[in-house]
Amino acid sequence: MRSKFKWIFTLLLALTVQFSFAQEKTITGVVSDANGPLPGVNVVVKGTQRGVSTGFDGSYSIKAKEGETLVYSFMGMRDISKVVGASNVINTILQDDSKQLSEVVVVAYGTQKRGKVVQANKVISSEAMENLTVLSPQQMLQGQAAGVQVVQSSGVLGGATVVKIRGNASITAGGRPLYVIDGVPLNDNLLTNAQGGQALNPLLEINPNDIESQTVLKDAAATAIYGSRGSNGVILITTKGGKKNQAAKVTFEQTFSISEATDLINMMDGNQYRRFKTLRGDNPAGFLFDDFDWQDAVTRTGVSRGTNVSVSGGGEKVSYYLGFGRNDQEGFIFGNALSSTNGKLTINADVNDRIRVGGNLALSEVLNDRVYAENSTFSPLTAAYLQEPWISPYDASGKLTRLPGFIPNVVAIESLDINDAKTTRTFGNIFGEIKLFDGLKYKIDFGVDRLMLEQKERSFEINSAGGYGYYNTSFQNKYVVTNTLNYEKSFGKSNLNLILGSAYEQNDITSATVEAINFASDLQLNVTSGATKQTTTSSTLNSRLNGYFARASYDFDNKYIFEASARRDGSTRFAENKKYGNFWALSAGWRVINEDFLKDSKIFSDLKLRASIGTNGNDRVGDFAFYPLYAGGAGGAYNGNPGFTNTQPANSDYRWEQSKTTNLGLDVSFLNNRINLSVDAYYKKTTDMILNVPIPGTNGFTVLAANAGSMENKGLEFDLSTVNVNTKDFKWKTSLNISTNKNKVLELPGASVGPDGNRFVAGTSQRAIEGYSVNTYFLVRYKGVNPQTGNAEWLDVNGNVTTNPTDNDRVIVGDANPDFSGGMTNTFNYKNFDLNILTNFSYGNDIYIDGQRFTDNLTNNFNKSSKVLDYWTTPGQNAYAPALTSPTRSIFNRRSTAQLKDGSFLRINNVTLGYNLDSQIFADSKFFTSARVYFTATNLYTFKKKELEGIDPEVSNSVGNTIQGETFFTAPQSKNYLLGVKLTF
Amino acid sequence: MKIIKLGLFALSLLAIASCDNTLDLAPEDSLTPEIIFSNESLASNAVNGMYSSLQSSNVLNGIPDSMGEWQSDNVNFVGSFPTFAEIRDYSTLSDNISVLNVWNSHYLSVNQANMIIKYVPGIADPNFTQASKDNMVGQARFVRALMYFKLSTFFGRQLKQDATGNSLSIPLVLEPYQGVVNKPARATLNAVYAQIEADLKFAETAITNTSKVMATSAAAKALLARLYLYQERWADAANYANQVINTSGFSLASNFSFYNNPSTEHVFQLVNVSADAGFAESFAKLYSPSAFGGRGDCPFSQDLINDFLTEPADLRYNLKRSGTDAAGNSSLFSTKYPNGTSNLDDANVIRIAEMYLIRCEANFKAGTTVGDTPLNDLNAIRTRAGLANLGAVTNDAILTERRKEFCFEGLRRMDLLRNNMPLRKASMSNSADSQPTANKVLLPIPQRERDNNPNLIQNPGF
Repeated sequence: MRSKFKWIFTLLLALTVQFSFAQEKTITGVVSDANGPLPGVNVVVKGTQRGVSTGFDGSYSIKAKEGETLVYSFMGMRDISKVVGASNVINTILQDDSKQLSEVVVVAYGTQKRGKVVQANKVISSEAMENLTVLSPQQMLQGQAAGVQVVQSSGVLGGATVVKIRGNASITAGGRPLYVIDGVPLNDNLLTNAQGGQALNPLLEINPNDIESQTVLKDAAATAIYGSRGSNGVILITTKGGKKNQAAKVTFEQTFSISEATDLINMMDGNQYRRFKTLRGDNPAGFLFDDFDWQDAVTRTGVSRGTNVSVSGGGEKVSYYLGFGRNDQEGFIFGNALSSTNGKLTINADVNDRIRVGGNLALSEVLNDRVYAENSTFSPLTAAYLQEPWISPYDASGKLTRLPGFIPNVVAIESLDINDAKTTRTFGNIFGEIKLFDGLKYKIDFGVDRLMLEQKERSFEINSAGGYGYYNTSFQNKYVVTNTLNYEKSFGKSNLNLILGSAYEQNDITSATVEAINFASDLQLNVTSGATKQTTTSSTLNSRLNGYFARASYDFDNKYIFEASARRDGSTRFAENKKYGNFWALSAGWRVINEDFLKDSKIFSDLKLRASIGTNGNDRVGDFAFYPLYAGGAGGAYNGNPGFTNTQPANSDYRWEQSKTTNLGLDVSFLNNRINLSVDAYYKKTTDMILNVPIPGTNGFTVLAANAGSMENKGLEFDLSTVNVNTKDFKWKTSLNISTNKNKVLELPGASVGPDGNRFVAGTSQRAIEGYSVNTYFLVRYKGVNPQTGNAEWLDVNGNVTTNPTDNDRVIVGDANPDFSGGMTNTFNYKNFDLNILTNFSYGNDIYIDGQRFTDNLTNNFNKSSKVLDYWTTPGQNAYAPALTSPTRSIFNRRSTAQLKDGSFLRINNVTLGYNLDSQIFADSKFFTSARVYFTATNLYTFKKKELEGIDPEVSNSVGNTIQGETFFTAPQSKNYLLGVKLTF
Repeated sequence: MKIIKLGLFALSLLAIASCDNTLDLAPEDSLTPEIIFSNESLASNAVNGMYSSLQSSNVLNGIPDSMGEWQSDNVNFVGSFPTFAEIRDYSTLSDNISVLNVWNSHYLSVNQANMIIKYVPGIADPNFTQASKDNMVGQARFVRALMYFKLSTFFGRQLKQDATGNSLSIPLVLEPYQGVVNKPARATLNAVYAQIEADLKFAETAITNTSKVMATSAAAKALLARLYLYQERWADAANYANQVINTSGFSLASNFSFYNNPSTEHVFQLVNVSADAGFAESFAKLYSPSAFGGRGDCPFSQDLINDFLTEPADLRYNLKRSGTDAAGNSSLFSTKYPNGTSNLDDANVIRIAEMYLIRCEANFKAGTTVGDTPLNDLNAIRTRAGLANLGAVTNDAILTERRKEFCFEGLRRMDLLRNNMPLRKASMSNSADSQPTANKVLLPIPQRERDNNPNLIQNPGF
């Protein structure tokens, strides 16, 4: 590895070397804006590759000849050009790019000027993301955009992330948004196995450091052009590229961090456990005294390091970006580690005046040393909670030993066993664009997403008698060809932009798994050495998508904006005559600010009204669900001879889930853009929802996957950003977003009918019920322990107290979706210091602590929460748990609202304190242009209900639509402290 | 003009990557009926698949036959499944999931058979002879008849309790599912029996297969003999049982090692091998105590033990072992299904011994001696069991012999009902509930079925 680094450094340095030939002089000066000197401004000699950035005092120094032009550019400011004259000093003042007219927003299949956008979208810029220390692109969105709810499902490294844009729009089909990276729709199939918890985040291979911006597309006006895949919203990821006419800029960033668990459940120790068992009536003759702190043994302070290097720049015709990242993470769970290595290359080149070509290529390798989680006895955390605290992982001689009970020795498992997932992924695109005649451009873009996953498990004799071996490999091969025609024309006061395109996507996944037991020796690592093969299987998943799309944007005098988009998509996932679907959107905007009566307004700096309506589909359903199918394999075999059984009924009417969204929006800025507010209100109705509709079993099948149900989501979103203080030395900016979403299931034809007459789709703790949210909790109400009798009490269906509740006493008791959620970022700059605080919050969501049914189990032989030591003994006592002699003792932990909690929280998600070293220090070195030292704390503190002690409110044990906000010993998120250095030269 | 040309050129570029036929993609492993029913080899695999579906524990591999054993008097069910206990306690409710599973799984197999019956005759494969097609269709019709016969014993009144045969039995579905959800009403027992007879009569002549692990012409005849016995068509019953006995390759085994082995004893034996799919609640799991890998749910009832103890030398009483039952008590268990760990015990769907006892009973009731005398047939069974010959035949003697011969093989419940006897003696629990006309002697039409099919009328008392 060391030699690799060396090689890369040599390469990087070589790229920074510049040669100068002409008779030049040195121009110096200071670039400033209205508030004073401006650091980081690009100063380039036009037509050359010579360029520098201004230092922290706004000063620069560049060599140029008389007559050459210097171009000063800075994001959010107008470019200024100055011709070099006799003077050797050129001071420049840059102007705010008034009304952000030129800010360009990445939208589907192109870009638009911010002022002309009539879609509901939100751009999260690199600025908003740069202080975040995250592992995945989804995490970067947390708390950043109204209507985007991001829940990190667990604290296990690489754990899946639940991203919901405007709530939940489906029950059985996928509910996650479409991810598009540089125009290539990415696969996010969960290929890794769940291991008791959840599969790994499928986007881990994207290096967050390579991301320039993310655009969240929310309404149909923004997403209809993605047709059959836009229903859950779309996230456009744009990666970093070079800038033309910019000198090579090298950034080097090194981080060092430690992580620990945010919160763990307080369980009994050996003495407490023995005392409890004695009082419960267990025979002390069977008690053990090998007390051991399992929680302490399976958690640790994880130490992590990260390195990121990038080089970017460009000449007149070519721009480039090279990125390299290496991350070695140690989780706070013993045995959990992740290392990723990423490389990224972006090149754009003007071949001539008419032809432009370019490409992105990302290569990455992620090696995850996994741990089992949640609902598995192999899960270190779950096992540590439930293992009896009087059992030790070591035998009398101090060696790790196999344990006799139901829960295995997780210390031995994590010390010895192998459990790795390794992903190698290549993704990117190349394109060519040709200007056919003025205003008309044709572009062809070829994108790939190739992934190879290897999962390897080997459990040794001490943990699995005879040993156990598992090997899985999955290949994913996807390519996308996109053709677009873009026509842009202005005539008079009218501006027109047309896009017409076609896209074809081919997606093939192959997976093979082998599994064996009975190994002769622990020294043998592969499945081939297991005497008894348990699984030998391989399978494929194939799909194709063929789409045609168009968008027309028109504005008159930059005041009245109209946009229409449409897509026709054909997919192999739908029935023969339902393969193609049409999707459309219409939107209009009125830029009131450009009307005469507001032109000279001192208050308003922007005012725009938007409205849109349109449709989308959801193709996140399994392949070939409509075909009548005969399946083979062991299920069809008889007497050892292969055969086929008819396992899937035909449904010739199987088609997309459709959603129709209406959106009203307002963008307003006050006081010279110091206050910016966007408000959106929407109504989204999903119809043709795919449900497993029950049919009479006499048909030979009991359910039919059919388009039957409907559901609605409606909500309000607010995005506010303000510049609170803006002086030379001190700046304070705030951005706040907050949104509400109300989900209601409208119709579930064919579903079971509940006691209230409404149909529902059942889950264990929550159901989708007609007239209610898709995540409605349906549980018996727990009342508490009766201070007089010492019995635990519940309410029956009629609200009467009972000590013997049944499932028939379940009622609607809560909703896993929040009343509102959002995030707030405050950025402070004081001289060379900057402080960034990101908080995210959720209010009014209920969470279900499934693990409490185990930690509060008073009768079994697993360890218990120390809370239950507060059991009832004397009349009048307000106890947590019933009397240990109470007949309700054995059902105290039954599924009820006792495990349902208010999951509202406010989390201090990220605090970064940075110091930018004075550039004067480097003035002599002529090497560094800037250096930054920063300290980041993530998940520093979480405000939550007191009863959630030991529980992370922001976890979910499923990424499924109908199980949200439930946790079964889900690993809490980690608390990280990170120290970083970033050098630019 | 140039601009228009360029524009047209550009539009044509858009079509480069667009290719509609790429959407004609089919799964690589599962196959559509068009492919399955396109040639003989694939069709024969669908026949295998049909037998595979019978391996469900809810069809021929244990649950329904065992339910009948503990609803009557052979098994003392001590397991923990509440839906099984409901049947033991005559407290079955219409939402009983086990009953639903039995219902659904039988109709799943009916659908496998219906697909073959409908599509095999039309296969345009020149090498696929009519005889071979008939062989497949015959087996499918045998399976369909067997499914309807089994279901009809549980879900509707039997002839002895309603001699008209007009009691509602089960829905007859004779066409496979083809995309239109059907909601059939229940047919009368007469109609069900007529369909079973028609299917078996076809199978009798059409099947050429001779492997006893699949349907044979003899198996069709044997099932007809059982049908005629239940219908009290004594002459037909004796005739068909006699035909099976006289078929070469079918004879009483000399001892009881035929269980889980190939033998002349078997007329139709559903075999289970490890390469087939797993069988979760199979015979072996129910009848093996935990020490042998089972759950120990189904020990001998005391009443059955008492019956055996009247002649303790009975070799069939040797087919037992002791073990801890699911309730934690030491009990006696049958060794007819001994492999609780591997779960690979075979289902004894029809045995030749049943043909001897059907011929015996039919001749006895009709006063005939088709094939042999009733006494000789009865004594043939007794001799193999190591018992002394009887001097005379009585109905009770036949019934007792059948009980001891076929205990745990699923015939007991119908033997009692077709003799209009209660499923349990007066001394046993739930005796009053087990009278032949009592409501919960029948199983309920599953509530889920009625929710989805308003044409289904519920049995009284549910």
